[in-house]
Amino acid sequence: MRLASPPGTCAVRLQGCRRSFRTPDGGVYVALDRVDLEVRAGEFVALVGPTGCGKSTLLNLVAGLLQPDAGRVEVFGAPLEGINRRASYLFQQDVLLPWKTAEENVMLGLVFRRVRREEARRQARAWLERVGLRGFENRYPHQLSGGMRKRVALAQNLIVNPEILLMDEPFAALDVQTRQLMENDLLRIWQEERKTVLFVTHDLEEAIALSDRVVVLSAGPAARPVGEFPVELPRPRDVTEVRLDPAFGELFRRIWELLRGEVLRAFRLAP
Amino acid sequence: MRSGSLPDARWGLRATQAAVFVLLVGAWEVASRLRWLDPFFFSRPSSVAERVARWFASGEVYGHIYVTSLETLLAFLVGSLLGVVVGFAFALSPALSRVFDPYVKVANAMPRIVLAPIFTLWFGLGILSKVAFGVTLVFFVVFFNTYQGVREVDRNVLNNARMLGATDRDLLRHVLLPSALVWILSSLHTSVGLALVGAVVGEYLGSARGLGYLIHQAEALFDTTGVFAGLVVLAGFVLVVDLLVTSVERQLLRWKPPSHVEEAL
Ligand SMILES: Nc1ncnc2c1ncn2[C@@H]1O[C@H](COP(=O)(O)OP(=O)(O)O)[C@@H](O)[C@H]1O
Ligand SMILES: [Mg+2]
Repeated sequence: MRLASPPGTCAVRLQGCRRSFRTPDGGVYVALDRVDLEVRAGEFVALVGPTGCGKSTLLNLVAGLLQPDAGRVEVFGAPLEGINRRASYLFQQDVLLPWKTAEENVMLGLVFRRVRREEARRQARAWLERVGLRGFENRYPHQLSGGMRKRVALAQNLIVNPEILLMDEPFAALDVQTRQLMENDLLRIWQEERKTVLFVTHDLEEAIALSDRVVVLSAGPAARPVGEFPVELPRPRDVTEVRLDPAFGELFRRIWELLRGEVLRAFRLAP
Repeated sequence: MRSGSLPDARWGLRATQAAVFVLLVGAWEVASRLRWLDPFFFSRPSSVAERVARWFASGEVYGHIYVTSLETLLAFLVGSLLGVVVGFAFALSPALSRVFDPYVKVANAMPRIVLAPIFTLWFGLGILSKVAFGVTLVFFVVFFNTYQGVREVDRNVLNNARMLGATDRDLLRHVLLPSALVWILSSLHTSVGLALVGAVVGEYLGSARGLGYLIHQAEALFDTTGVFAGLVVLAGFVLVVDLLVTSVERQLLRWKPPSHVEEAL
């Protein structure tokens, strides 16, 4: 296993990033502008903001799937060129290949790295077991529930042992129980592996329960981080119990005060 | 409860289908024997059955079936291969597809039957001209489906594979090709059917062997019994090919969820 990067170094740094899109009527929509953000190695950062403000766009910049119009993206101190090879990306959408079984889907990253089939298969089985899907190796995605598919996708991401884990509202579509189970699983795995995590969500409670730091993004257009809140709740955490901590409620109120303004602004600006 | 009633319903359906067959063939036989239908123009089922039995007993029909099968298979394989390659090229190169778009549209809209005599001229009376004719039919179906299949691939699925470290070749092999295959398979019955049409029509228009030739020859001799016997053999052949295609399809689309319609039934 690759050694985790030394703590304290900067895993991701965005400096003055802007990203705009062409609109169908020929205009230009500036989604993100003047975005500065740093994520330290081993840190769990949650990014919250109103719907449509540019959270996915920001993740895409860090993933190297989109390039900024202005500003720079650095990964472990080096400017990012092309796809971010040190990161994996858990998409909001269902992205498993429907013609591959759970096991084959999890293996994919190893197959792309030319790992021998047997070895890849062995590791895939181990990862499926770690995300609680033992016995489901040979199921096709359509034979799994939404929560199970997300677990497969999580295993698919973790098997390549990424240093940085980008996650885009991964649990948004799940029911509350499944969601809390998966949040705890994620925390347990993160605790063991000490990955750098950039976790996008529009659920503030989830953001606080999971992260070391919550970053609030303003409403678009030209969204940018407008607030940062360190989360000093004890670890290891249980996402259900941590919500009962008085400090949790206090923090929630403070962040919500800021976030509510942005949500309302986004709502008013919506066409 | 459902599993019990399902086979019953199935048997009922099969029985009804058989009854319809017996009724129609029986009516034909009776009408012919009572001279309501002129046997010269309409033959009669018993004579047709006898002829088919004779063909198989003497073994003379096997050569024809073999030739038609070979032509069908070759037309299907070559047409599919060309369709996949060109479909991919068009889907991955917008410039190419823009330049050739009008040509493809015109070529596809053209009634292909007019090409058959030209192919006979170019490739002779052997199997080559029939294969070429079948290829022009199969190609477009596979081409359009490949093109569609590649274009329809979800952007997030592609990005996910890229993030997992896929090279362009990996994307082709693990994402684009299987995705196109889904579309190609969904039109498998059509493309195999067209390969068969190409073979039989080609034989009919000029050849010395094959089921199309068999029918054509009987027709030239005003041998209606022979024509009907040829049609019966052809129908049986089509049925067998279709069963084969269905089983291949089942095998290759194992991963697919059953359609809502099937589920509802
Ligand atoms: N490919 C694109 N083309 C045009 N507009 C886009 C594109 N991607 C995102 N946008 C726009 O940028 C804004 C931010 O989108 P996104 O990052 O998906 O928001 P979020 O993830 O916070 O909901 C939205 O207004 C969206 O319409
Ligand atoms: Mg989003």
